[in-house]
Amino acid sequence: MDPEILEDWGRRRRGLLVAVGLLFAILFLRLFHLQITTAADYAKESEDNRIEHRRVKAPRGLILDRDGEVLARNRASYSISLIRSNKEDDARSVAALEQAIGEPVRYHRRNANIRLKRDVDFETVAIVEERLRGDGHPLNVDIEPQRDYPHGDLAAHIVGYMGELQEDEAAAARFRYQPGDYAGKTGLEKVYEDSLRGIDGVRYVETDARGRIKNERPFPDRERAPLPGHDLRLTLDLDIQRAAARAMPDSLAGSVVALDARTGAVLAMVSQPSFDPNVFVSYREQDPRRQLIQDGRRPLLNRAISGEYPPGSTLKLVAAVAALEAGITDTLSTFAACAGSLQVGDVVFRCNNRSGHGELNLLDATASSCNIYFNHLALILGMETWYEYGHRFGFGIPTGVDLDPEERAGTLPDRQYHIERDGWVTGHLMNLVIGQGYMLVTPLQMARYAAALGNGGILVTPHFYGEAPPVHTIEGVTPETWHIVKLGMHRVVYGNNGTGKRSRVAGIDLAGKSGTAQKPPRLNDDAWFIAFAPFDDPEIAVAVVVEDGGGGGATAAPIAGAVIEAYLQDRLRRHPDMAAANDSTVSELGSESDL
Amino acid sequence: MRRELDLSLLVAVGMAILFGITMIYSAASGSTLWRSQAIYAVVAILLAVATVYFPDKLFLDLAFPLYALGLMTLLAVLAFGTGDPARWLSLTPSGSLRVQPSEFAKITTIMALARFLGDRSSDHLVSPKAIGGAVLISMIPVALVARQPDLGTAVSFGAPLIPMLYWAGMRPLHIFFLIAPLLSVVFSFEPLWQDHAPIVFALFIIVSSVVIQLLLARLWVTLTMLAVNLSAGLVTVYLWANFLLEYQKARVLTLLDPERDPLGSGWNIIQSRIAIGSGGPTGKGFLEGTQTKYEFLPAAHTDFIFSVIGEELGFMGAVFVLSLFLSLIWRALYIGTMANSRFASLLAVGLGSILTFHVFVNVGMTIGVMPVTGLPLPFLSYGGSSLITNGLAVGLLLHIYAHRHDY
Repeated sequence: MDPEILEDWGRRRRGLLVAVGLLFAILFLRLFHLQITTAADYAKESEDNRIEHRRVKAPRGLILDRDGEVLARNRASYSISLIRSNKEDDARSVAALEQAIGEPVRYHRRNANIRLKRDVDFETVAIVEERLRGDGHPLNVDIEPQRDYPHGDLAAHIVGYMGELQEDEAAAARFRYQPGDYAGKTGLEKVYEDSLRGIDGVRYVETDARGRIKNERPFPDRERAPLPGHDLRLTLDLDIQRAAARAMPDSLAGSVVALDARTGAVLAMVSQPSFDPNVFVSYREQDPRRQLIQDGRRPLLNRAISGEYPPGSTLKLVAAVAALEAGITDTLSTFAACAGSLQVGDVVFRCNNRSGHGELNLLDATASSCNIYFNHLALILGMETWYEYGHRFGFGIPTGVDLDPEERAGTLPDRQYHIERDGWVTGHLMNLVIGQGYMLVTPLQMARYAAALGNGGILVTPHFYGEAPPVHTIEGVTPETWHIVKLGMHRVVYGNNGTGKRSRVAGIDLAGKSGTAQKPPRLNDDAWFIAFAPFDDPEIAVAVVVEDGGGGGATAAPIAGAVIEAYLQDRLRRHPDMAAANDSTVSELGSESDL
Repeated sequence: MRRELDLSLLVAVGMAILFGITMIYSAASGSTLWRSQAIYAVVAILLAVATVYFPDKLFLDLAFPLYALGLMTLLAVLAFGTGDPARWLSLTPSGSLRVQPSEFAKITTIMALARFLGDRSSDHLVSPKAIGGAVLISMIPVALVARQPDLGTAVSFGAPLIPMLYWAGMRPLHIFFLIAPLLSVVFSFEPLWQDHAPIVFALFIIVSSVVIQLLLARLWVTLTMLAVNLSAGLVTVYLWANFLLEYQKARVLTLLDPERDPLGSGWNIIQSRIAIGSGGPTGKGFLEGTQTKYEFLPAAHTDFIFSVIGEELGFMGAVFVLSLFLSLIWRALYIGTMANSRFASLLAVGLGSILTFHVFVNVGMTIGVMPVTGLPLPFLSYGGSSLITNGLAVGLLLHIYAHRHDY
């Protein structure tokens, strides 16, 4: 070729080489970016592709009563899942399952493992294992733990139940929960969720693009064993719980609370009507859940801590303590004889005994629950002093039981409270002193009140689990005052005119106070009874309320008696040697002669 | 007669093919595809060496007849093609032996183009007739292949046109006139530039017009180019907005952003990028690529063989392969400057440019700078038609080298 052409070609070759160089520079730069600069990100993505994290669920702690009887446990439940492939194959496998079990299946193709049906029965498991898998559908049967409450409705309000976390709840706690997880929703399941739950473990499997497992344990070093949840050994005594539930009339609503009078440990807490918590943890039943939520009798409400009732005459002992401390009365003084009613201003207050109790001292007024006697006391005491003592007994504030935050405070109205509503008149105090008016309490507050009356003013903090919280002693009340009030309560049970005779239990000396609270517009009264036993050194304090139960002495007192009897049985079983020591019933006279 | 073989070219090609067989062994482990590829390789090398001994005039004389034959096979694919989409011709009734005529037609088109341009001296290359002829020779097979449809291969037929026109003596400015409307389409394509599209397009129009005016100083040329570019851009905008259906748009958008459809059409590109990126500087080791062996990477032994190299041998392996290709391309252009005729020279440059195009589009696809097309990586991707065609291309280069002193 002639030199001119060769020179031209040489020039053009340089031109083309520059163009080729530019193109390759793009490739080299991009490769450098992928494989050097951001290689770590892609290494991670590549690992995420093939490594599947499998959560190993920590077994949830059991919930036990104080003798180790199981209230909440875990059982195996079977769920059906599908290994995701393409849309058409997935739809075909789901259709086969639907046809086999005869019900529709809803699913989302979100994860490589599509969960189709939870908590299926053995028949379905058999169909999947033997037939559908044989037909080539990539279905799996997974075992997952499910919560189970063997005692059903017996302690439902205390134990509570678990529920599926909503998407946003799981997102809020995304380091510990995933959507579809169950967590405690109410009761102790919720309060002690963190310690019951334990810490999930993790393991890894290596899969190919179609989800087939290639290596069961690619990283044995990175696996983490689950940390099982802690068991909750409660203070609750199922024998007493059972006795309390049995003693409550089935047709009526109400609540029974029994505390250890020294520590505040909850021995029994019944709220009626109750419900079966298993309904809430089941993946199957939806209808019973809806029924429970819509039930007008509100079975889901824990009346022991969330039910607010006027306490009726059981509250009279607040005024008794206050009056004794103020020197307004003693065991012997009397007021004007009860004639069945008392006129204060324009208003006539009636006694429970329409024909009148006659002339009474404090002990007899307590025993027969004379309204007029306490009205006289109140007139001298005045609103502020009465309120001060109500406050010292812990009314109007939650007890701090470890069932938060469902607990209600009740209402201890002061003068201001009335002024803000309908103005202050002395008549309000006449009502408050006998546990009516705006006064509202929870059964748990009343059990604590009963304990304080019995144990010389120690205000315990009710609790179900763990060490007893520190107690608080009601200040400024002399032992004599406590003793006199206790004697009055003793006479309620053992006195001739006592309203609480029906609470008596053979083999144990107890004391109590009845209440019959009006709750307009309802026609029937709420029946109340509070009690503690043994009389000298109380171990158990009980509060009973039966909605629409009528007279406290008639309806509630026997229930309190049944609870104390169960306690006694229980104690005999635990300490057979103590049987003899407490066998002697303190006589009415013997007791009073101490004064 | 003894002929001098270009050993450097032959060694580079041999290394590329051996490397390819090795990586196919890894990419399609458990199968015997690597053995089939080895057999194709032997055929390809034999064909390459045999080509050296053909008479020098033969290719010049056969250029147009072979081009016609190539077009006929492409028509035959449209009529009786097999596969889905139909890109193959069955040589046996059962279809066990089949060829992809578009691969062979690439060579014959380059030969025809070399003949056409070689017959005309560089002075003629301003005439619209000469340029029109060259464009026509390229565009007929482009149209036929595009109808299969195989857009990637179709575009590869057009790829050698511009470098060959340049080599034949066309002025860069005139080449710019030729490709300016295409650039207008690219610069006005809204999905590429998003909100900046109007600014990008306006900048292109202004800068190109200013450059043309400064270089030529002929207002009518500048204004004509301005009008042509503007209308190309506006037509693009109009077609995108009004003509394409939603699903067609979605397909185009996924090409640009595979994350739009990570489990569907974006899957390949994402998995390939992960494979290459996770290879890091030195790779996961031969046969150890998890993206490859766990089937996350589709078409690993064919279109995505480069991803396997990137994953298992890392940046070092990828750079080695690209360097091999660079040396091949450089060698082809070098042979182009040693040729004994304009025809031979243009042929060498055409082969070099189609090789460049294939490497850039295929590797670019695996690393996410080019859209997914079905173009194989020359010498490395599994496939007989491609390998044997490339063997023929190497043979032609060897032939030109061996005959460089014959006049």
